[in-house]
This record gives sequence, structure tokens and C-alpha cells, in this order.
Amino acid sequence: MSSEPQRPGSREVHDYTEEYGYHSDQRSLRRDPPRVSNQNQPQFDWISPHEEEDEEGSSGPPRDLRATPLPMALKRAIRQVQQMQVPVVSSRDSWKRKNAKSLRKLKDCGMGFLSFFSLWSKTLQKIGGNFGGGVQSYFLFLRFLVVLNFVSFLLIAGFVLVPSIVFRSVGAALVNSTGQEACMVYDPNPEGLVVFYNYFLDLLSGTGFMEYSYLFYGYYNNTMVEDKNISYNIPLAYLFTAVFYFVFCLICIIARMGTAARVVVATGSSTVGDYSMIVFTSWDYGCLGDRATKLKQKNIHYQLQVDLEEESIKKRAAALTLSQKIVLYSLRVSMCFVSYGLIIAAFYGIFAATEFSQVKSGQGGILGLFFEYLPSIVITAGNFVVPLLCDQIALIERYSPSTTVIVALLRAVFLRLVSLGVLLFTLWRQITCEGAENTGECKLCQYNHLLYPCWETRVGQEMYKLTLFDFLINIAVLVLVEFPRRMVVDNWSNKLSQWVGRQEFEVPANVLGLVYGQTVVWTGALFCPLLPLINTLKFILLFYFKKITLFHNCRPALKTFRSTTSTFFFLVVLLFGLGLGTVVMIYSLSEIRPSMGCGPFRFFPSMWSIVPTSFNNLSIITQDFLFFIGSQSFSIPLFALSCVVMCYVVALASVYGKSVALLRAQIKLEGRDKQFLVKQIEMLSRRQQILKQTAGASS
Amino acid sequence: MGTTASQLGKDMLSEYQELTFLTKQEILLAHKRFTELLTKDEKDLPNNRVPMERILTLPELKSNPFRKRICNVFSTSEYKDGGLTFEDFLDLLSAFSDSATLEIKSHYAFRIFDFDDDGTLDCGDLEKLVNCLTGETDDTRLTPEEMRQLINNILEESDIDKDGTVNLSEFQHVISRSPDFVSSFKIVL
Repeated sequence: MSSEPQRPGSREVHDYTEEYGYHSDQRSLRRDPPRVSNQNQPQFDWISPHEEEDEEGSSGPPRDLRATPLPMALKRAIRQVQQMQVPVVSSRDSWKRKNAKSLRKLKDCGMGFLSFFSLWSKTLQKIGGNFGGGVQSYFLFLRFLVVLNFVSFLLIAGFVLVPSIVFRSVGAALVNSTGQEACMVYDPNPEGLVVFYNYFLDLLSGTGFMEYSYLFYGYYNNTMVEDKNISYNIPLAYLFTAVFYFVFCLICIIARMGTAARVVVATGSSTVGDYSMIVFTSWDYGCLGDRATKLKQKNIHYQLQVDLEEESIKKRAAALTLSQKIVLYSLRVSMCFVSYGLIIAAFYGIFAATEFSQVKSGQGGILGLFFEYLPSIVITAGNFVVPLLCDQIALIERYSPSTTVIVALLRAVFLRLVSLGVLLFTLWRQITCEGAENTGECKLCQYNHLLYPCWETRVGQEMYKLTLFDFLINIAVLVLVEFPRRMVVDNWSNKLSQWVGRQEFEVPANVLGLVYGQTVVWTGALFCPLLPLINTLKFILLFYFKKITLFHNCRPALKTFRSTTSTFFFLVVLLFGLGLGTVVMIYSLSEIRPSMGCGPFRFFPSMWSIVPTSFNNLSIITQDFLFFIGSQSFSIPLFALSCVVMCYVVALASVYGKSVALLRAQIKLEGRDKQFLVKQIEMLSRRQQILKQTAGASS
Repeated sequence: MGTTASQLGKDMLSEYQELTFLTKQEILLAHKRFTELLTKDEKDLPNNRVPMERILTLPELKSNPFRKRICNVFSTSEYKDGGLTFEDFLDLLSAFSDSATLEIKSHYAFRIFDFDDDGTLDCGDLEKLVNCLTGETDDTRLTPEEMRQLINNILEESDIDKDGTVNLSEFQHVISRSPDFVSSFKIVL
């Protein structure tokens, strides 16, 4: 499409420094002979960068130099020239520049110091180099959860655990009250001698010696110390710590989503420009070793083939006849119903198992342990079987590959989180006698005091069991499935083992496991304050176990997983889990009556009612101030102000979008102008040559 | 250069820190790895150039399909043989470092992909690029029809001025929409 005449035998090597200096047209608008002699000494325009620097002014020269794509010798020469020139800058500007320079040095020092503290960074780099960004994003997510859980534990320990320990050891007096005697019966300690293996069973199910300990809600007392120096209200601290824990987690997740979301919004729709994006940006220069390189190449090959195939499928689908379309859509709808039917069947199974387990609770021995763990077993089995069946269904539905992945993920998320919800719903039914708190067994205490003398501890135990079981299952799958699979595949080469192949590290499934574990912790944190600590240890051990299985047993996945959009998706799913935990917490705080035999809220009609009680103990001024903040005369102007700010931000965003579209159109127009000018020059030079020839011929 | 074989002077170190995106530790590590590539006699010579074959023994470059292009792009050698001095090596690491800007990374990426060094990516460059990405052996290449379809799609998407080639600004326009480019265009020793 170029209109330049090719000079025979002389390939003009493009001079990048010229372009950097002039921003000139790259086609041979200039008719200079190719600079064969001094190709190797790039010509540099001494004047342009200096002019540019004067225009910018805000960033100092060193920043400009680092970002110039020139060899070191040239950069050094420019720097020398700049230093020799007497800068015509005011003292204020030079002071600003010096400040900026020292600030940057300080920042570099700070970054170096912080990187010393960052956890597992070398391991993560190695994982990313060998297995790609998708797997690395899973481990980054795991590290984020470890830090989140540890900081939450520090929060809980500081405000609830340590004061409880202090007051218990000091022997602070409990607040007593009269009430129904039958409701206050709570005796968690077993009588008499205990067989030694019961300790192990108790460790696994949170009963026995573990039940009446700092692990569960029931052990904490409702001490309210009011000295002349200090006053500490344990129930209030417990409540506020639980609420603040949720708010803190929400802020952390949203902050982390912020960077990922900004990138996702900026890059816009990922369908346009897919091929150029893949070809120009998909190579990972951090890949180390032949094996990783070959796998990455296979990856890219597969991705390109899949995209090209999807394009031809789309073309074919657009060409489907009406009858074929009807058949396809009816097939999809029926498969949808089938998959939802499967999920609902799984829910019913969990519901039945939980009821059965609650009825049979209290049995001793291994059978009793089995009954205790029955809900967890059914949930895990459902979470394993149903996605497999859904994958088979997806094959029938014949969506495009990318849609299939998203649909599978959404179904799996739905299954996992709502199965937990079903378990909680079943517990609620039994604790509150199916919501009717003034009937049957709940008449006396507004909760089922015969089955659950301390229902909060019971819920905490269920969550503890879920966490532990999840961890044990992960280890068991590792030891019993992944290691043997690798040994079989490596040492026994036949068709079957080649077809099965080495384990692939499935990122979505593993991430859902993490989200499920974290949701369990959030639901149980109110009832089992040490659960974040247990979860921190669990996730740390999981990191090392998963790393070992990754490096020893797995081969990198053939299907790629875009790392930035997937991080955003993981955090969105985590927010769903947080939402479920918040709903549980809010409901338990406000609706169900706390147990009268245990816990810091034992004599309150609901957990929240401690706030109004303590509120009345504050000074009048504070009370008035807080009333004012909650009143209409404050909240309505605040609401109006936030509406104004939001409108401004939305307007700004739309303006930026419009200017981006405008600039893009301008680039197109400039390209066309360039082509037009090049054609004009060709015409003129040809006319000139013709004139020269005719003049030469006639003379 | 005036540097002794085993030590970098403090002023050279601070100069390199100002002219590249590398931190002090990274420059020292690069110096250590570079001197490991020198033979005993070469160690005493100042400003020596390590031939490309020895640079390509570095594990970070050894299996990279673009290794030869990378050496050629950063080399300031007169003979265009891809040999790198220590300063070329630092330029290389600076462009591939963590803190390098998107502009400089995209500039060098464009130069690496420009196999015939003519300032634009035409069909020949794109074909060679795709072959590097998928692997050079026969069973890993795309079929000719797939290659044709792919190159047509690429030019349709990124060639804004419709001249049949992708120039630097069009390339940078595509790169700016990719969130992963900066983190994947990275080589850390």
C-alpha cells in the first residue's frame, strides 16, 4: 500500500532516534541516501528533548532521561549537556526539583525496606514464571486472605480475648440476674473420667474440653468493669469488635478491588482487539526454562486456535436456520432446568442431613463423630459431584468456550455459598423452633433450650467443624489422589495413563474453595472468636501444601486464565461470601434471643440491646451529639451532598469517555490525511521527473 | 570506563541509578552476573563487549524465543552482531524492570517485534512474530489459512490509518489497552 519506490539493494534501516527526535513520518518522505556508514552511531537531535523539557517543567530531567529509549552513552552525553547548560530556573523551581529528587530517593529506600517484609515474594515470582499469571493470582489471593485473617485475629485478640483473660484471672464479678431457672442450665463439662480417645474426638468436633474454652462464645463472661480509672464493658466490646471486623474486611476487599476495577474499566470490553492483544502482549518474559517456554507456546497456540475457531463458530451460528435456532435454544433452556434441579436436589440432601445430624447429636464414639460431620460430608460430596455433572451438561449446551467457563463458575459459586446457607437455615429452624418462638419447646426461653442450652456455641462448633473438615479434605485429596496419580502417570506408561495425564492446577475450583473457607469463617466469627486464627494457620499450611503439589504433581493448564480480570472476579465472589456472613451476623444480633446460660449477652433480650443500655450511661452532651447525627437534620443534607458529589464524578467519567472517542476518531483522520499527502507528493515528484525528462530531451 | 573488574565505583553506581530504572541492588546484581560471563583475560579490559552467544547462556534469556532480537535491539555494536557491553546490559534490564514506564516498554517491544528493522510491523514481521509465539517446529505452527486469517484480523483491529502495517503509535494504542503487558514484559535477575 506504500507508494514509495523501492531502491534496489538498499534496505533502509529505520532510525529510531530520529523518530524520537522529530516524530517524523516513517516512510521515506525524506529522499536522503541510506546512511550506511553511520547506522551504528544513531543520530540524535540535541535540540528536541531540551525543548520538550522546557515545556513540561513539572518532572525533573532525570525522569525524562530514564524514560528515553536511547543507549546509555547517549543518555550520559545528554545529561552532561544539560548539566553544563546554566539552567534559567528560579530558585523556587530548583528547590522543588531538589525536593522531588530527595523524595524519590526516600521512596526508593522505603520500597526496598517494605519488600523485605512482603511475604513469600520469591516463591510467588517462581510460581508465576513457571506456571503463568493465572496460577500466580490464586496464590496472591491466598496470601491476601492470610494477611486479612491474621490482622482480624489481632483485632479480636486485642479487644475481646486479652481483656477476657485479664478479667477472668483477676476474678472480676459477674452481673447476675434472675430469670427462668430452666433456661440457665448449661453444663458443658462431662462427668467423671473420660476415655483418652475422647480427647481426640473432642478436638475434631469442638465438644468436651474444647467447648468451654476461649474458642467458643459460651466461655466469655458479661463482665462490665467500672473502676475509677478504667471502665471496660466486655459485651459491648464483643459486639463492636464483631461489627468492626466485618467493616474492616469490607474495606480491605474494596480497596484491593479498586486497582483491579480501574484496570478492568479502563480496558473496556475485551472482545475488541483480542487478536492483536494476544499476539502483542501475551508473551511472558519471566518464563524460565525450556519446559515453561514450550508450555507457554502451546498455551498461546491453543488460545489462538480457540479464538479463530470461535470466530468461525459465530459466523456459522449467525447462519443457522430458524428451526435449528429453536432446537438449540430449547435444548439450552431444558439443560438449565436440569442443572438447577441438580442443585436443588443437593440442597435438599444437605437439609435432610443436617436435621438428621442434629437429632442424633450427643451420641458417643466414632458413630457419633460421623453423625456430627454428616452435614460437612454431604456438602463436600455435593460440591464435588454437582459441578462434574454441570460440566457434562455444559457440553450439551454448546455455548462458546468463554461463556461456558463463566457459566460453570457462576453455578459452582451459587452451589457452594447457598449450600452453606441451607446448613445455617436448618440450624436456625431447630434453634428457633421454625421461627415461631412462642410455641413448643421454645416457649420458655424463646429458643430451644432443651436441644441447645448454649446455641451460639453450637453454631460456632458447626463452623469449626466445617473449617477443619475442609482442611482435612484438601490434605486427603493431595495425599490420596494427586501424588498417586503422578506416580502412576510417570512410572506406568500406557494409553490410559497418557490419556488421564498429570494433574492440572484448576484455578477456579481452588479459588472457590478459598472463598468457601473464608465465608465459613465470617459466618462463624461471632460465635467462635478464635476462628480467624485457626483459619490463618489453615491457609498458611494450605499455601505450602498447594505449592508442593503444584511443583511436584501438576502440569500447567492448557487453557489460559486472564490474571487481572480473574482477580477482580475472585474479589467479587468473596464479597458475596461476606454478604452472607453479614446477613447471618445481623440476624443473630437482632432477632434471636441470646442463651441465658452462657456468653456475654446472657441477660439481654437481644445482642444488640446492650447498645441502647450503654448509651444511656454516656454523658448528656455525647448523647445529644449522637442523636443529632442520626436525626433528619443531619442525614438529609449529608445525603444531598453525596448525591451532588456522585453526579460530579459521573459527569467527569462521561466527559473522559467522550474525549477518548474523539481522540480515536482524530487518529483515524490524521492517518487519512497522511495518506493523502503522501499521494500528493508522489504525484508532484512524478510530474517533476516528467518535466525534467522532457526538458532534457528538448535541450 | 575506568571501572575495575570486580567493583563498581560509587559515582558510576549513582549515575546508573539516575539513568536507568534499576535500584542499587539490581545494578550490583547485574554487574555480578555480567562479570561471570567474562573470561579471565577479558575481565581486565574496560568497556568490553560480550558476544551474543555468551549472553544467551543466561538462564533468563536462554529459552526466550525473542532472545536474539532482544540482543540485537539493545546492542550498540558496530558490527550488528548482538554483542552487549555492560551498559547495554543495564539498558536491557532497565527496560525490562519493574518500575519502567509503559511508554519505554512498548517502545522496546515494538523494536523487538520489528524483525526487519524498517520501523513498522508489516505482514512478514507479524508472521515471524506469531511463529515465535507458537513455536518454530512444524507441528506447533498455525496452518497457512489460520495464519492468513489471524494477520487479517490483527491488521483490521490495530491498523487505524489502513496502510497495511502497524506503526509505533498504533502499536502503543493496542498495548495501552492491555492490563497485563507491564507485568509480563519483565525480566528480573
